[in-house]
Amino acid sequence: MPPFGVTTEPRPERIDELLDSELMAKLDQVDVMSRKIFAGKLQGERRSKKRGISVEFADYRHYTHGDDLRFVDWNIYARLDKLFLKLFIEEEDLSLLIAVDASASMNWGNPGKFAFCQRLAMALGYIGLVNHNRVSLYAFDSEGVRPIPNLRGTRRTREMGNWLLALEPGGYSDFDNAMRSIALSRQGKGVMVILSDFMLKEGYEKGLRYLAGGGYDTYCLQVLSPEEIDPGKHGLAGDLRMTDIEDEDVADVTVSAALLKKYKDNLNAYCGKLREFCVRRGMMHVTVDTSTDMGTLLLDYLRKRGLLK
Amino acid sequence: MAGLILAACVIPPLILLYFLKLRRRPHAIASTLLWKKSIEDLRANAPFQRLRRSLLLFLQLLALILLALALMQPQIQGNQNKGRKTILLIDNSASMTAIDGEDGRSGVTRLEDAKRRARERIETIYGGGLFGSSASETMIIAFSDRAEIYSRFTDSKPLLLAAIDRIRPTHGETNMEEALKLARAYTTNVNPDQQDRPIAAPAALELFSDGRIVDLAEQVLRGESLVYHRIGSLDADNVAINAVSVDRPYDRPSAVAIFASLLNMNPTPVTCDLQLSVDGVARGIESLDLPAAETHPGTGELIPGRNTVIFTPFEQPRGAVIEVANLRVDDLAADNVAQLIVPPPKRLKVALVSQRRSLIRTVLEGMSLESIELLRPVRFERFAEEGSLEQYDVVVLDNYRTETLPPGRYLIFGETPPLEGLNPYGEGKDQIVLNSKDEHPILRFVTLDYLYISKLRLIQPSDEVEVLAEGANGVPLIIEYSRGPLQVLHVTFDPLDSNWPFKRSFVTFIVNAIDYLGHFGEGLVSRGFIPGEAITTRLPPAAQDITLELPDRQRVPLSPNDPTMFSWGPIRVSGLHVVSWKLSGSQETYQRQFAVNLLSGTEGNIATREEITIGQEKREGLSSAEGSYTPLWPWAVGICLSVMMIEWWIYHRKMMI
Repeated sequence: MPPFGVTTEPRPERIDELLDSELMAKLDQVDVMSRKIFAGKLQGERRSKKRGISVEFADYRHYTHGDDLRFVDWNIYARLDKLFLKLFIEEEDLSLLIAVDASASMNWGNPGKFAFCQRLAMALGYIGLVNHNRVSLYAFDSEGVRPIPNLRGTRRTREMGNWLLALEPGGYSDFDNAMRSIALSRQGKGVMVILSDFMLKEGYEKGLRYLAGGGYDTYCLQVLSPEEIDPGKHGLAGDLRMTDIEDEDVADVTVSAALLKKYKDNLNAYCGKLREFCVRRGMMHVTVDTSTDMGTLLLDYLRKRGLLK
Repeated sequence: MAGLILAACVIPPLILLYFLKLRRRPHAIASTLLWKKSIEDLRANAPFQRLRRSLLLFLQLLALILLALALMQPQIQGNQNKGRKTILLIDNSASMTAIDGEDGRSGVTRLEDAKRRARERIETIYGGGLFGSSASETMIIAFSDRAEIYSRFTDSKPLLLAAIDRIRPTHGETNMEEALKLARAYTTNVNPDQQDRPIAAPAALELFSDGRIVDLAEQVLRGESLVYHRIGSLDADNVAINAVSVDRPYDRPSAVAIFASLLNMNPTPVTCDLQLSVDGVARGIESLDLPAAETHPGTGELIPGRNTVIFTPFEQPRGAVIEVANLRVDDLAADNVAQLIVPPPKRLKVALVSQRRSLIRTVLEGMSLESIELLRPVRFERFAEEGSLEQYDVVVLDNYRTETLPPGRYLIFGETPPLEGLNPYGEGKDQIVLNSKDEHPILRFVTLDYLYISKLRLIQPSDEVEVLAEGANGVPLIIEYSRGPLQVLHVTFDPLDSNWPFKRSFVTFIVNAIDYLGHFGEGLVSRGFIPGEAITTRLPPAAQDITLELPDRQRVPLSPNDPTMFSWGPIRVSGLHVVSWKLSGSQETYQRQFAVNLLSGTEGNIATREEITIGQEKREGLSSAEGSYTPLWPWAVGICLSVMMIEWWIYHRKMMI
């Protein structure tokens, strides 16, 4: 019998293990949902508040020096002898940022949290690529943030997959600095998804505050293994010396019904507090069990929570 | 104490080991964040949470405590009288020979049962075991009508057990005073310089008895504790012969008339068959119905059902041993048989000492006597000095005052004889008989109702003197004085100072008195003894090789200093006692038989008392089951094992959460 909670399932080694074709076909119909219309660097498929080049008329404005003469409404000039410029609603692309926690604590649970995050990041990234969004992925751990920025188009799917497969969890999650550097590096506006267990001894508040300030629609997906959600049900018992796999911190625990109940209460309180923190700052928080089917998660849960449409 | 030391040695290390033994399994976990918080939350409101909530530790402690308790060898009723001397008082009176076998065990007397319980008690006190504490000393006293120490204070278990084994049954009455005196003699400080402090604390008395103790209410506990071990059953079955007498009718001296009285102690009427045997040969059987015993509504005392039987007189010209046996089987066999020795018809030699023409002589002359000799005072005094009065069976003093009264049997009218304990104090007058003991042999068929006495001698007799008839204000009129070989019937008035000579009862009285005195203590003895008394008789001066054969055929050699004043006692059991001797220069063996009967109404009531009252204190009787001091350590060990199993089960259940 394997030790409690230690991941026994091998991590995906091929891209089709990250995202199988069946799910891929289903995800072709899905798009990332933004609650606002965002300005993008390239013209995309979605409406933007920014007036730009498109076929749909929006407004007029006075000509100023340097404007493109191609958009001057010559008919108005003929009638009024004034130069007016025609403004059109511009359709922009969406910036999708996916940050994956690659600390050692993610390499735990059955099914493993990190493998689950790899698959989820792959699926979300694929959705973004399919819909011509600008997809950037970040992995963060104690060694800093490793990005793969600005992917666009389905032809970048393999590149994204290989990048995800190359990730190795380890060290501790330097969440505050990671969020800070991502917040500073991201440009424009878009959707940001953070995949982590958020079990952060130094706290998540400071790191999330960096993200709250930007123009991004932020989703905190808290990924937890079944052993973390209900340890008693999964065979945790006896007098144990628990060692934190990130910082070697030790806790002597005599597992009892009272202790398990207290653990569950604390977990619920912890998740509730994180949720409240996020809501207060316009973020979304979703707790995800790694035993959840990926298809169900993407096509049902995340749709209901507004991340996908 | 040893158990406490053990507990003190073992329990703290267990608690220590409880912490040390937690060899925790190492376990990698994603984050200790929530676990630490949970542990802190649990501890926050319970400083001793670890100990308090640890059911396993509690159970292990409980198991250890039970183990320590088992080593202490706890017992029910287990007061070991630490620091106090224990005295076992074992009743070996007649009622303790009853076979009413506790728990249906047949053939075991109450005394055997009491000895068994006493042995168990000794085993309990000195049982000890590995961690047993040494008990204080114990004394063993057996008591009936008298008390006897079987073992002085000792802490030697073998000595005490051997002493208990030596206790033999007696047929005496139960008298506790002497036993208490003996017990106190050994526990009281006799050093006059240390009167302010006792030798030891008052002893712990443990009484093994059926509770039928005559003088129990008169005793008082002086600081001693008393435990009453109840022996026997509460509803014993017994019918007792409480009186038997044999007489030769005046008009038929060769015939024998036998009278017997029986008491029924049972709450239901019974019918008994009484068998009469002469010299061991059955002569006849009489059936007798006895009414049920009743309880006095006021005092609560038992009033036995009573009936009497008179066997048809039959010819018995020779002396014989008469036995009356109750054939009905009951719990107490000792009072089912009564024996009496019937002397052969004997013609008496009577001397009359008188200074006048006596009316008494006329009466004596009418009796069937061998001889009547009239002694003048001078001759009487000379015979008294020479010791020649022994030739007479009875000496009658008719209002004659003498200064000396040698051993013999006397019927004395008028003048007060010089006897210790009579205490004469003057003369009285005008008396009638108000009270008389009509059941006494000398007053049989004697009617004193119309007797008037004009003048009489006043005496204040001591307790040893039996008053047979008394007048107003308790003035003694007829007394019996008996001390060893001296037997005196005294009438405190001169018959001529009364109207008695005109009454028929006067003649009857003299005949009864001469017969009563004349047949006492001679040859074959008709008088029965009771246990506790001493056998006293006269043997020829040349008697030697004197032996006494007890009812159990045991022979006791005797060597009295003076065979003419032979005495042996106290009698312990009922039955025939036979004294045999030889005369010097002769090989012929002479025998004299003494019948000893248990004729006690007190001992006949053998129903065990549930509780006893000594002084004003009541003591509940401990039955065998209650008083057996059952050891509790097997229970402690059993519970300990159960606790360990529960602990094992809880441990595994915990592991399977």
